[in-house]
Amino acid sequence: MRNKLESNFEQILERSKHKIYRICKIYSVAPLEPQDLFQEVIFQIWKSLDNFKYKSSIDTWVYKIAINVCLRSKIKFDKSNNKTERFESIHFTPVEKEIDASEQEKFQYLKECIATLNESDTSLIVLYLDDLSYKNISVITGLSENHIAVKMKRIRKKLVECITPKIN
Amino acid sequence: MLEQELKNIWNNSSKAAQISIETDRLVQEFDTKMTNIQKKIRKRDVREISASVIGILIFSVFAYEIPFPITKFSCFLSILWFAYVIYKFRKSSQQNSSENLSLPLKEQLVHKKQLMQHQLKLLNSAGYWYAGPSFITNFIFISGLRNPADYNWTNQIAENLLPLTVNAKVGTIIGLGIFYLLIIWVHKIAAKKDVQPILKNIELIQQQLKNSN
Repeated sequence: MRNKLESNFEQILERSKHKIYRICKIYSVAPLEPQDLFQEVIFQIWKSLDNFKYKSSIDTWVYKIAINVCLRSKIKFDKSNNKTERFESIHFTPVEKEIDASEQEKFQYLKECIATLNESDTSLIVLYLDDLSYKNISVITGLSENHIAVKMKRIRKKLVECITPKIN
Repeated sequence: MLEQELKNIWNNSSKAAQISIETDRLVQEFDTKMTNIQKKIRKRDVREISASVIGILIFSVFAYEIPFPITKFSCFLSILWFAYVIYKFRKSSQQNSSENLSLPLKEQLVHKKQLMQHQLKLLNSAGYWYAGPSFITNFIFISGLRNPADYNWTNQIAENLLPLTVNAKVGTIIGLGIFYLLIIWVHKIAAKKDVQPILKNIELIQQQLKNSN
């Protein structure tokens, strides 16, 4: 049972680590770093794995935990988050090949523009940018698809208006 | 700018770092963290409950030793009150630990709001369930104290500790009154500083989710 759990956990991590990290990069606010949030999310995934009902999609389940943990840390549901101790088994190493500086700059602009959105819009846009359908966003947030469509139209417009002059 | 470009920027952002995880070691670290969390929870429970347990023991001895009927009665009331405080703390701890992070965001916020509202109520009503009853039982205890000689009761320690004169009784009651007012004030401050801002944040996000604009 334990082995099965560990094997499932390993598969989930392998599949989801990058998308979790992307979300953590948006939500981390000093003194919390993306790595701290990342390990908190995967810790919560590990804790909740026993309760996962295999009827629903594992991806949306992971997103739900990621969004809830990140939002919790942002609005200080849990003050102990400020004192996260790092796990030694998780390594973040910069990739060896040279990263396109303009790509990094563009991401920085994107991050700045997302920071101008409110908490609710931030949750929606990170899921949208991860290419999730409105149906899946609806499962993760509990909002109706129509409501999400209306909100997304406005958020996308706001984001494009913010980032376009910065990039050009 | 095309939306696809935004998605590309987003997807490329995680390529800047390589994330490697030693799962076996991570699971061990998680187990250690879980054990530490459980230890902390146990410590907190012991801390919260030990004062009441000590109170029950002390008032049990008082109820057995002290012959004055009204004071004896107040000792039983105090024991009942301490038992109620233990029950209240246990119930509150259970509610606080019932967190389910795999709920949809909207439900998660409703759940968190309920927990926070419960905490707020608990802190704001400390005067009714904590300080008030405790002061009343102490008041009855002190008021019921009589001259030990009238009851053929000799206990040197108790005679030295208990406020038996009118002046000592009044002084003790005033001191206790100030102490319990301080407790109410500390609880109110905690509600205002720790719980209300979180509750406000939750309500703000709920409002944001509701709005289409």
